[in-house]
Amino acid sequence: MIRLSVIAAFLPYNTLVVAAGVAAVGCAAGVIGTFGVLRKRALVGDAAAHATLVGVASALLLTGQRDLAVLLVGGLTSAMVAIVLLVLIRKFTRTRDDAAIAIVLSVSFGLGITLISGMVSRGIPGSGGLERFLLGHTASLTAHDAILLGAVSATSVLCIVVGLKEATMVAFDRDFAAAAGWPAATIDFVLIALVAVMVVVGLPAAGAVLVTALVVIPPAVARQWTERIVPMLVIAGTVGLVSSLLGVAISSVAVQIPTGPVVVLVATSFLIFSVFLAPCRGIVWRARATSLLPSACCEEKDAETTARVVTEQKL
Amino acid sequence: MINLVADSAITLWFDRVGPLHGWAIATAVVVSACCAIVGTLLVVRQMSLLGDAISHAVLPGLVVAVLCGAQPGGVGVLLGATVAAMTTVWSTRFLFRHAGLWEDASVGVAFTTLFAAGVLLITVSGSRVDLDPGCVLYGILELVPFDTVSVYGWDLPRAFVSALSVLVLIIFGVWCTWRWQIFTAFDTDAAKAAGIPVGGVTCGLLIGVSLATVTGFVAVGAILVVAMLVVPAAAAERLVHRLHHAVWLAVLFAAVGAVGGYLLAWRFSTSAAGMMAVVLGVEYLVAILIAPDDGVAARLVSKLVYLWRVQIEDRLASLWRAEESKQLVQEGGFAGLINRWLCVRGKLRKEENVFVLTPQGRMHAELIVRSHRLWETWLGKHVDLPVDHLHPPAEWIEHHLGEQVRKRIEDELGNKDIDPHGSMIPKEKR
Amino acid sequence: MVGNDSASEVHADAPMLEWHDLTVAYGRRPVLWNVDFEIPKPCLFGIIGPNGAGKSTLLKASLDLVQRAGGCVRFWGQPLAQVRSRIAYVPQRETVDWDFPVTVMDVVRMGATSKLGWFQRGGKRERELALHSLDRVGLADFSNRQIGKLSGGQQQRVFLARALAREAEIYLLDEPMAGVDAGSQEQIFNILATLRDQGKLIVAVHHDIRTAVEWFDAVALVDMRLVAAGPTAEILTPENLTMTYSGRLSVLDEIGEAVERGGRTS
Repeated sequence: MIRLSVIAAFLPYNTLVVAAGVAAVGCAAGVIGTFGVLRKRALVGDAAAHATLVGVASALLLTGQRDLAVLLVGGLTSAMVAIVLLVLIRKFTRTRDDAAIAIVLSVSFGLGITLISGMVSRGIPGSGGLERFLLGHTASLTAHDAILLGAVSATSVLCIVVGLKEATMVAFDRDFAAAAGWPAATIDFVLIALVAVMVVVGLPAAGAVLVTALVVIPPAVARQWTERIVPMLVIAGTVGLVSSLLGVAISSVAVQIPTGPVVVLVATSFLIFSVFLAPCRGIVWRARATSLLPSACCEEKDAETTARVVTEQKL
Repeated sequence: MINLVADSAITLWFDRVGPLHGWAIATAVVVSACCAIVGTLLVVRQMSLLGDAISHAVLPGLVVAVLCGAQPGGVGVLLGATVAAMTTVWSTRFLFRHAGLWEDASVGVAFTTLFAAGVLLITVSGSRVDLDPGCVLYGILELVPFDTVSVYGWDLPRAFVSALSVLVLIIFGVWCTWRWQIFTAFDTDAAKAAGIPVGGVTCGLLIGVSLATVTGFVAVGAILVVAMLVVPAAAAERLVHRLHHAVWLAVLFAAVGAVGGYLLAWRFSTSAAGMMAVVLGVEYLVAILIAPDDGVAARLVSKLVYLWRVQIEDRLASLWRAEESKQLVQEGGFAGLINRWLCVRGKLRKEENVFVLTPQGRMHAELIVRSHRLWETWLGKHVDLPVDHLHPPAEWIEHHLGEQVRKRIEDELGNKDIDPHGSMIPKEKR
Repeated sequence: MVGNDSASEVHADAPMLEWHDLTVAYGRRPVLWNVDFEIPKPCLFGIIGPNGAGKSTLLKASLDLVQRAGGCVRFWGQPLAQVRSRIAYVPQRETVDWDFPVTVMDVVRMGATSKLGWFQRGGKRERELALHSLDRVGLADFSNRQIGKLSGGQQQRVFLARALAREAEIYLLDEPMAGVDAGSQEQIFNILATLRDQGKLIVAVHHDIRTAVEWFDAVALVDMRLVAAGPTAEILTPENLTMTYSGRLSVLDEIGEAVERGGRTS
């Protein structure tokens, strides 16, 4: 507590609020994004993010309140509808997944823009600048917003922690889980829905594109450093947290610089570092391993392959 | 600034700048034609997400070009955007191939990073760049007619001129490389083996995409360009099977989307770009509903027609069997409706409150019973089934056997007259 | 997950696995017609047939992984839902992403924990069970290896160990020998034979007739329908094999297409 108050004394209150909100989102997005990325649905979150605009506009239209919680509920609803649409398109048409994501993303965004623009031209109070919802408004985050973001982030992470066994089983091998009697399709949907929740919640803190980055980049960094799921979740969460905090710190020092982009660029620099220098998977490491055979990581597999080739030749 | 833009656009609308709408619509049509052509190739090659990525990632290219003194809508901007697009593609590929990342995650990393860099550049360079991230995202179609250039004495909107030249360029490029494009889209490995420069073809396509994207910015903004690239193509792909038909249809869809979207937006005084995406979305919805082979509606109709046919044929066959075994027939569901329908079709006749088969109805019923008993016999011969399990599958397959297949089955069975249950197999009458 | 084991005693003399007139369709098109057969006692049972004959489909339909168009499957005379905990499935090796960040031990533990209830992680018992299963397939030394860093044969043995950790009585294996070298094949067959000797039923989709003769007690020849089934020596005759492998019954293809359309054949 004492330490916290010391920090508070040095940092302006506003920066603290922003840091808390963004850090919560960054950390949770990293954890949740891990399963999204492992299921090869990294960009479903992007589609969900763009679909929120419809819900946000409708929420404002229905309630007349421009309260963050109300807008988020609206956005969440439309994000879920978008994900259900993706599932339906996959099930009932032959449109491929990548095209389906692009269609849902762009059309729902267009609908959102149409709604908001129509509302603006009719002078509906509170609708001005609503389209900027997707760009995020990091700097104007209030303490109330930060608490909301923190609570939702914590709940989402808790879901993953509690259901880790089920999530891993389904993400790794859906058929095996289904044969063992687990509702694999439902669990799969929940994993994707969590990504959508995270993206929607992250919108006010980071904006659509940047929250997509927070879902994708930290898991990608984590994958370079570990071969196991739990450490991957922890590392992804940490990378999300650290890049968020560093981003807020940098943008609070340099006045002109917006927080969101800096967070992404910090995360990307972590990724570039890992892609080259991580042990075993890093490019530098692998280049060295091939030049100095045998190395620790690849040795046994190579021996195994050689043995197999030899056995096959004998027969 | 976005508010300012939106406000001024709306003011202009209410001032009824009538003749100027023509230019805005024309620009939108040309832009969407550009997008639809390259978009079709992008969709069939399963690279739609790359379209999404490029449309975001050209932002830093634009900013750098403007910082270097390029005119908005000029060649410099196109060049900058193309370089940025190529960077996206290259880094996606690098992450996927050499860093062991998943394919979609590589796309996600590349475009979010470039977009973030673009936003950062804009804010850092401040007033030197007259680009608002909002404008880039949402487009300013309504202002297109006001920024004109003089071409041979004609005052044409700058955006229209640049879109038209890009369209000509794309048509020319696609025309020249058409065979290669088809081959590569159909089977990349085979194309590579056949000596087609697959890398070059893909590169050309992506340059086309980035040119179309940059032109699209002016009209509809970054995200709705994705709608123009992917949605008409995905809709067309559901309706026709040949690639060049798909391209034409996609262009048509895109044009309808552009004109329809603009007019609807005008009518309801809302964003033209947004409305275009909505119209395109509706087009896609209609396409997946009415698609001839696997459309939702087509499948539903064929299912209903089939169910009705099964009801009719079951009724006829049960009447026939009742005649054969001199027993009373039990009525199923919809009995009244089915009887009436069969009377109308001349297959049933009502005699003293009892329905009996007409000669025509008897012939139809005989074919069904024949199919049924032939299939039971065939199953008995080829599939290791106990005799009491033969009836249910035959009850299903009897509705699907045609004359030639019945004949073939009969020949194969060696003109057997009796089915495994000991009943007579009716003969085909001509 | 936990099944209702107590009810099983009633059907003690029912066959371990029976298919009743099973027909499977993808979309509306039937790909497997009227399979009707039962395996009464524990044995090493092979499902053999050409590519695209519906062998894997038969297993998947038995496990409710694909929808059945008709017929039913019974284990010990009961539907699948009642006896899931006594059945283990080994999917095809290609169906998973081997770059997934799990170790050999993690995968095998999934087998043990898949029998527990929601949100139960398992403890010492599951760990030991997993270790024991790994030991049985001879991979105890590899338990901390990431699964992608194994050879094809080893990966298949990891899958087998995961199934073993379910402590099941019926094992359904989809192509357990695909992409596996001869040495590993023999190893896997030995494990399966041991299981059979312990009174388990093993049903494996297989494509190599030479090894089938050597190892399987009974086989089913499948080509869109059940051609023949029974003891290996009786079934793997030249006539039966010609019937299975020498071209399709084009009638089935044609009718399948007509069923898909909801219309009639020519």
